[in-house]
Amino acid sequence: MPLIRLDKISRSYGRVQALNDVSLTLEPGTIGLVGNNGAGKSTLLKILLGLLRPDRGSGEILGYDIRRSGNEIRGRVGYMAEAAAVVPTLRGVELVTLSGDLYGMPHRQAQRRAHEVLNYVGLGELRYRRLEEYSTGNVQRLKLAAALVHDPDLLLLDEPTNGLDPRGRRAMLKLIQDLIAETGKSVVLCTHLLGDVERLCSQVVVLHQGTVLLAGSMADLRRRTSHHYELGWQSDAPQRFERALADLGVQFLSRRGSESTAHAVVQLPQDGSTLKLFQLAGECGAVITMLKPQEENLQQLFFRVTQAGTDAAPGTERPADVTMPGPRS
Amino acid sequence: MKLDTANYHGWQGRLRSPWFSTLAIVKVALLQVFRRKSYWVVIGLGLLQFVVFFAIIYAVTQLGAFKSRVLERLDFVAEPNGDVENNGYLMFMERQSLVVMMLLAFAGSLLVGADFRLKSLPFYLSRRIDRRHYIVGKLLAVSAIVALLTVAPAVVLFVEYGAFTSSFEYWLNNWRLLVSILGYGLVLCTVLSITLVTLSAYLQRTAPIAITWSSLFFMLAIIARQMRDVTGNVNWLLLDPWRDMRYVGRYCFGYFAGVEDEQLGLKALALLSVVCVVCLVALAYRVRAVDVVE
Repeated sequence: MPLIRLDKISRSYGRVQALNDVSLTLEPGTIGLVGNNGAGKSTLLKILLGLLRPDRGSGEILGYDIRRSGNEIRGRVGYMAEAAAVVPTLRGVELVTLSGDLYGMPHRQAQRRAHEVLNYVGLGELRYRRLEEYSTGNVQRLKLAAALVHDPDLLLLDEPTNGLDPRGRRAMLKLIQDLIAETGKSVVLCTHLLGDVERLCSQVVVLHQGTVLLAGSMADLRRRTSHHYELGWQSDAPQRFERALADLGVQFLSRRGSESTAHAVVQLPQDGSTLKLFQLAGECGAVITMLKPQEENLQQLFFRVTQAGTDAAPGTERPADVTMPGPRS
Repeated sequence: MKLDTANYHGWQGRLRSPWFSTLAIVKVALLQVFRRKSYWVVIGLGLLQFVVFFAIIYAVTQLGAFKSRVLERLDFVAEPNGDVENNGYLMFMERQSLVVMMLLAFAGSLLVGADFRLKSLPFYLSRRIDRRHYIVGKLLAVSAIVALLTVAPAVVLFVEYGAFTSSFEYWLNNWRLLVSILGYGLVLCTVLSITLVTLSAYLQRTAPIAITWSSLFFMLAIIARQMRDVTGNVNWLLLDPWRDMRYVGRYCFGYFAGVEDEQLGLKALALLSVVCVVCLVALAYRVRAVDVVE
């Protein structure tokens, strides 16, 4: 059973189309949800939490219908909000207990569990402090404990490293990483920090202007970018060589250089071999001076696909290189 | 700080109905109020008044000579044609309501305003409850504070009176008083909780809430009296919500000065019902309008 299945989900606020025909199938694991401001991440999170009904489309999360089972979904999903969630005058352990109570746990069990999860996230000694006295890093840990208290199957983490210094960020990421490794829980990480996604996530979803630009496993993405090369060549008839490359199915992602010396980033076809480039160069009288595989990191990929998504006018077909098949389990 | 992985255990229990969560909201709200030392000044005033009435009942029941003089001022017995102004329980509850109003003027920001201001609302609504449970929880929380300061001590006084007379007769003969206390308490809890939670959800900060709250109960009272004097129409008195609650309270106690008073009681009940419905609609709109995920 997929963790999340969305089928043509659309949602608008007045004239603003927040989500437009979003279809996704995500398997259990760690999923990064990334996008610019206004991309539709928050709307998607609300729909995943069962707090907002889509205008059109259907979907399931953990097998529950997102339209009808909001409370059941939240019973099996732990949500860590971006906001600080300070309830004045409460102590750490009381906030986590309240969280358990609000999830529907019997009070005594919520209390016991609150102590357990606070120990787990490393706040055991600070649990009786008032919320106002916690540092930003500890507030993030506290929010994670409050989301974990009812032992959910899925955690939705909204900007978990927001406002943390580098040391705090590293500690928080380590905590989440260990949590995933230790408990095997699925996590949806919603963040602007692509490095966090790259470090933690096995799948990624890139949202842009309410549509899914990219959805797939990180392994797929890396495999895709492995067909990118930096290519340099010299030739007295460079146009002939370039035409031959294009006939072979090579895409030029960027190009610079003079008449006789050129340098380009190219994408070879899926079945393309670098050997063919040398053969073509020989046939066209060109000399290849550089051939270097180029691996895009998530940040470069994100900028490229969101730029391509912005360039594509609404209603036109999206460039072929920014769509991905569904994720693999 | 290291991750204590050894302590992570799964939890296998069953989740209860979200309505149980409203009790947690009430408990936390009471904790918040009673932890604030500054609020104890106002609570202390209420306690002081309770102690005074407690002592009066002791004197009336235990000291014979004192009885007749005090009963001229305060009547702790249900008499069908009794003088409403002198009913001890009604007088106690009306005075306690003043204390409650002062406390609520400051507590509204803490109990409800902070959820909006400090963005704790997403914390509540992203759990296994929806806004119905949240609203009911907050209303029950304010009601609990009102009841703790009005109904509960009034009931204790009623029990005390019976206990000091050492017979069941007082309780059996005056059971209507207990019903009246509970009825008036219900009116106070309902009206005060709905208006305070709505006001706090919109105004959020202590100063605006306190100013608006006191204007609502004191300024309107002055305006109502002025309008009555100018126009000669007693219906203008209904503009004062405090008086409206008193009228309904008297309706519960079954004491009216006259037919006109009784008619005003019914009108006050209708008016308060309309105000409560309008406030509930506004509150539901407000809680829905706030983004849970930002």
